[in-house]
Amino acid sequence: MRQLVPAFLLVFALLSALPVTAAVTPPNVCVTCHGGLAARLGMPVKIWKTSIHAEHGVSCNACHGGDPMDAVNSMSQARGFRGVPVATEIPSICGGCHMGIAKYHAASPHGRALGRGGPTCVTCHGSHGVVRATIDQINRKNCTPCHGFESALEIKNIMMKTDGMLKAIEDRIIELKNQGILTDTLEKRLFSLRNQSHSLFHTLNIDLIRQESAHLQAELEKNNSIGSTGTGLSIGTLAVGWALILALLFYLIKKNID
Amino acid sequence: MDFLKQLYDWIDVRFGVREVVDEKRSGHLLPPNINAWYSLGSVLLVIFCLQIVTGLLLMLYYVPDIDKAFGSVAFIMDEIPLGRLIRLFHAVGSSMMLLVILLHMFSILFMGSYKAPRELHWLSGFFLLLLAMGISLTGYLLPWNQLSFWATTVATDCVSSIPFVGSDLVELLRGGKQVGFHTLGRFYTLHVGVLPATIAALIGTHLFLIRRTGVSTPPFGLEDTTNQWQGDKFVCKDHPDGIPFFPNFVLQDLISISLYLACLMMFVFFFPNMFIPSTSYMPANPLVTPSHIKPEWYFLANYQTLKLFPSEIVGLTVQACAMTFLALLPFIDRGTEKHPLKRPVFTMTAIGCILLWIGLTIWGLYS
Ligand code: HEC
Ligand code: HEC
Ligand code: HEC
Ligand code: HEC
Ligand code: HEC
Ligand code: HEM
Repeated sequence: MRQLVPAFLLVFALLSALPVTAAVTPPNVCVTCHGGLAARLGMPVKIWKTSIHAEHGVSCNACHGGDPMDAVNSMSQARGFRGVPVATEIPSICGGCHMGIAKYHAASPHGRALGRGGPTCVTCHGSHGVVRATIDQINRKNCTPCHGFESALEIKNIMMKTDGMLKAIEDRIIELKNQGILTDTLEKRLFSLRNQSHSLFHTLNIDLIRQESAHLQAELEKNNSIGSTGTGLSIGTLAVGWALILALLFYLIKKNID
Repeated sequence: MDFLKQLYDWIDVRFGVREVVDEKRSGHLLPPNINAWYSLGSVLLVIFCLQIVTGLLLMLYYVPDIDKAFGSVAFIMDEIPLGRLIRLFHAVGSSMMLLVILLHMFSILFMGSYKAPRELHWLSGFFLLLLAMGISLTGYLLPWNQLSFWATTVATDCVSSIPFVGSDLVELLRGGKQVGFHTLGRFYTLHVGVLPATIAALIGTHLFLIRRTGVSTPPFGLEDTTNQWQGDKFVCKDHPDGIPFFPNFVLQDLISISLYLACLMMFVFFFPNMFIPSTSYMPANPLVTPSHIKPEWYFLANYQTLKLFPSEIVGLTVQACAMTFLALLPFIDRGTEKHPLKRPVFTMTAIGCILLWIGLTIWGLYS
């Protein structure tokens, strides 16, 4: 038996590894060829491999176009290859997938200043090393190259509160899970609320952010009471106490009879 | 009052209940020095009934299908009013049942109550222990979580080390090469049908035997503590100076049952996770083996014993021998002395074995 378990494990690991790696990185000639190139041409692959996009199978061709299955013609214009995108193209490329955010961005002072010193998506998120976005990315170092930090700080402070509540609910979900409570719907709701709140930043509209954050906070407040087991303890005390009193009662009657 | 009496008469002339009550009150007197340990059997009856009631309630919503079982148990826990409580009563109750069965056995061991003419009481009780372990093992798989899936995989795997028929037997048990859909079907049938019915029948036998011989006399507070049974003819032991079952001993039963319920509810309400660790809240995944697969506490000693021996078949044989010895104890120990202090060799050995079992259990828990 002791030899069997690792053996099983190994077989299962092999069996399960095959389809999984295949799903994450489909045979992609851009990655293989550029992976072998040096400097400017090879670097993007190294950085990209650590990104959230690589994790989700969003590969070179998603942003640069081209045909990742055909090694010879992969970078031909006819196959949709766009080369290195210029700043004005970037929001619409990213917006192909992150539609809501691109719309917010386009309407914001940043989007309106596109091509005239306004930041694009990659100014803040990078192009190849995109990681999960956090509120900490709103900081003096990132935001002050072009202007002051006052409005930025104001936005950050409003969003901090929502973020704190989101965190608290995430912790709570883990806790509930450990008690065997179903959290699927709660998780889905939290996911969409989290997206909403993180996207909202791109509007840069303080009033809108304040107003929507208040909505979100009210929504989160509601979720916070789910699965509360506050009454369990007192009912438990009552039940156990009741059984003990019964025992005592029977004991007294018995003594009386004996 | 008058109405009650009339009702009682009405029933009595039809079924002769008065005779039964009178007999309980004065006919069949219990030994005067009877003690609280004798109420554990009644506690066990109550526990079994509670398991049946909570089990039937769980069956209303439980779905024995590998894709739905886990979700249905989660649904019971979260959505059904009182479902969480009912499931906890059932799951915690099964552990407590084994604990009380062990206590019941130990008390009988030390008071020598298994001695003639009560060999078959012991034997039927021994099979009840095995069946209780069986019903717990089969029930454990039903929630189809990581813990239950892998514990069952490991447990059924042991069988494969039996020479010649081992691998066929495992396949028969699992209904396939791996624990899967057919295993769940088999275990479900055993758990809710075959085993409860067998246990009920065996409890009936157990009680019938006790009814025929009367309960044993505890060896405490007496001059002569040897076995009085002659073995020449049937006698139902009576105690002219004894105490009536009703109401005196019924009250003792009620005290023990209430104390038991207090314990059970304490665990259910305050420490449910002692019996249901958080790994059991992950659905079964045949592709991911959790790092620590431990069986329930009552199998830890068996588990540790298996690990101690270089080959599994040796470990199994040792355990089978120990269990057979335990089953046949009344036929092996023919001495007539019942007081534990007046048969020190037996008592020390028994304590040694229990300590060994506890030691192995703790070792299994932390290994
Ligand atoms: C057979 C190797 C090979 C394959 C396959 C390949 N490339 Fe290239 N790629 C190169 C080389 C060499 C250069 C630099 C020379 C050039 O611009 O043609 C380059 C340049 C580029 C550039 C920079 C162009 C610029 O103007 O600086 C991008 C962006 C690019 N490749 C993306 C892709 C994408 C996306 C794919 C897959 C659809 C891909 N490549 C497939 C070898 C390859
Ligand atoms: C999420 C979109 C995205 C993905 C995925 C992506 N790139 Fe890029 N890439 C860009 C953008 C935007 C630029 C423009 C330069 C910048 O601003 O960083 C760029 C620039 C480049 C350049 C030019 C670098 C330079 O310094 O001139 C190369 C070469 C390149 N990418 C290759 C790749 C390869 C190879 C992959 C796949 C491993 C890849 N890219 C994946 C968005 C992407
Ligand atoms: C082919 C579709 C696609 C394109 C094009 C794309 N992304 Fe993504 N992006 C994804 C996916 C899928 C994820 C992972 C989703 C998730 O878990 O949130 C992701 C995640 C992200 C995240 C992290 C989200 C988080 O939850 O914190 C950022 C930031 C991001 N992308 C920025 C960009 C930028 C900037 C560009 C353009 C340079 C871009 N994306 C282009 C599909 C895309
Ligand atoms: C590449 C330069 C650049 C960077 C980096 C940049 N911004 Fe801006 N920002 C601009 C431009 C240009 C405007 C438009 C100015 C205007 O309309 O007067 C603007 C406007 C704004 C506005 C609205 C104007 C106001 O003051 O109310 C806010 C808010 C803002 N930026 C926040 C940020 C934050 C937060 C960051 C960092 C995460 C940041 N910006 C990083 C260029 C930049
Ligand atoms: C001024 C800097 C800046 C620019 C420009 C910017 N972002 Fe963001 N982005 C952020 C910050 C900061 C966050 C994190 C907000 C938070 O945590 O609440 C974020 C969050 C995100 C997220 C994560 C949303 C989620 O659901 O968690 C995505 C995806 C994203 N940005 C994509 C984009 C895209 C696409 C563009 C261009 C259309 C863009 N961003 C432009 C700073 C920027
Ligand atoms: C006829 C009587 C019984 C019925 C109908 C029944 C029914 C069920 C059902 C439907 C389940 C799955 C739901 C769940 O996991 O909570 C279950 C689980 C279980 N049952 Fe029973 N049961 C009965 C008696 C018993 C008895 C007598 C014992 C123990 C001695 C027992 C021990 C268990 C155990 C250990 C589990 C797994 C508990 C868990 O972890 O959830 N059952 N039972």
